[in-house]
Amino acid sequence: MQAEFKHMLRRLRWQIIGWSLGVVLYDLLLAFFYPSMVDMGDAIIDYIKAFPQGMVAFFENIYAIATPMGYLDVYFFSYMHLIIGILAIGTGAGLLAGDEERGTLDLVMAQPVSRSGLFWGRWTALLAALVIILAAGWLSWALPSRSIGMDLTWRQLLLPFLPLLAVLMLFASLALLLSMILPAARIAGMATGALLVGNYLLAGLANLNEKLQPVMKYTPLHYYQGGTAVEGLELCWLLGLLAAALLAAAAAWLLFLRRDIRVGGERSWKLT
Amino acid sequence: MKDALAIEIKGLIKAYGPVQALRGVNLEVRRGEILGFLGPNGAGKTTTIRCLLDLIRPQSGQMRVLGLDPRKDSVALRSRVGYLPGELKLEGNLTVKETLRYFDNLRGRRSDWRYVRRLAEQLELDLEKPVKNLSKGNKQKVGLIQALMSRPELLLLDEPTSGLDPLMQQVVYRLLREARAGGATVFFSSHVISEVEAIAERVAIIRSGVIVEEAEPGALINMSLRRFRLRFREPVDIDPLTAVEGVTLVERKGDREATLQVEGEVDGFIKALGAFPVSDLQSDHLSLEEVFLAYYKNGQKNDPREEQEDAGRV
Repeated sequence: MQAEFKHMLRRLRWQIIGWSLGVVLYDLLLAFFYPSMVDMGDAIIDYIKAFPQGMVAFFENIYAIATPMGYLDVYFFSYMHLIIGILAIGTGAGLLAGDEERGTLDLVMAQPVSRSGLFWGRWTALLAALVIILAAGWLSWALPSRSIGMDLTWRQLLLPFLPLLAVLMLFASLALLLSMILPAARIAGMATGALLVGNYLLAGLANLNEKLQPVMKYTPLHYYQGGTAVEGLELCWLLGLLAAALLAAAAAWLLFLRRDIRVGGERSWKLT
Repeated sequence: MKDALAIEIKGLIKAYGPVQALRGVNLEVRRGEILGFLGPNGAGKTTTIRCLLDLIRPQSGQMRVLGLDPRKDSVALRSRVGYLPGELKLEGNLTVKETLRYFDNLRGRRSDWRYVRRLAEQLELDLEKPVKNLSKGNKQKVGLIQALMSRPELLLLDEPTSGLDPLMQQVVYRLLREARAGGATVFFSSHVISEVEAIAERVAIIRSGVIVEEAEPGALINMSLRRFRLRFREPVDIDPLTAVEGVTLVERKGDREATLQVEGEVDGFIKALGAFPVSDLQSDHLSLEEVFLAYYKNGQKNDPREEQEDAGRV
């Protein structure tokens, strides 16, 4: 498991570097824009009130945009799960099925490594990759926080990254699970991406139409705290998301244990 | 007595949906022997080998490999087996050395790197080259080294010389003989009769998912089938040629051209041909499937496919 973990992390190194760099640069840009947002005070709120309701609905805390919590939520945490979700879902879907389709899994599985060791070694490598990227994101907010007048401790700044990590791992694990069920990794990736975007849109629409609120309760993003976590973490929600991620991963693991490893290529839709 | 067997397969059945890949394979491979697993494409060679490594799971049947159950003791078993897949695919962004290090790490770093370098020298492979820049033949060499580098007790090689030039094929034969001399058992698949003749001590022939024959390689000569295209300087009567045992007429074009098929040894045919005014001669080895078709048509063996169908009717 350790060898596979190291190898997978090594394979992901350029993605880790690229995504970390992108997140850091974006964070720094936003961080240094924060003081001018605070200076605008009520003027920005009046300006936002002129926005169409349909647009505002997607940013729950937009009227608190001049506060650290609101600013972090609106400008970073309200959509960062969609952006980093591209990496999480893509990697999750291709974690095993991708190599199987390329034909490289066959030889790896012929080495003295158990299916469980291979599975969890790769899954933990994906977890580690996301932790590194989010840690870079956290540091790029935490380091300049004092100089930009963002009155939050490092610990407070860390808190919203935990639900973000949980929701990313949930969708990554879901993509992994679907890659064990659907005929191709790309189909699993597309399906999970559609679920994530669909859930995001539903969350926005539920803010406009109360009748959708009960439906939202059955979706993962309802339990994603976003930037509001700086004011206190909903531990149950976080644990719930992590449990769901583990459950999806465990289901994928069980399917992988029973799976015939293909020589290469995608499966077909034909029921055999 | 059972310990004398490296591989023991009984009634192995594997289907991919409606496709019956293995229809009850029974096979024993003795420890320390080189067994050639011969069969045409799609006969079930790869499926059998992949079942032995628990890469795919059969519907029924029993297997013991080095005394272990491939399903229950897969990790322990794989640590004692070197495997070369038939369709070798490697990660392109690693060098040869990094690729071999990765496999060695998965094997618990047991490989002797002096041996690895010696193998690379013998196979004329540059360890520093990125895998993505290698030709098919050179990638095959990487696969062979990873299979051999931990000096496993059992080598499961699916078409080991695929993509290699004839000189390199000879090097591979030598390496396999060396491995055998070191105590390893070699189980390799091939669809080339001459290759199996060259190296195997015993041959198992699989066709349509059933082992149809287990024999000494010398017996393969009986299955050898060549096709000769002949052109004569002047019109000839070829009856004296077709009268030779094992020779049949495939095609006659006018009275100056003929295509003949020769089964088994060609000595009688060549001697008879000496009396003819030959202006040109071309010789081809037939594919294994063509050989099998001719072999079964001649009534020397029952076609396993027909046997299966008959069994189904009963």
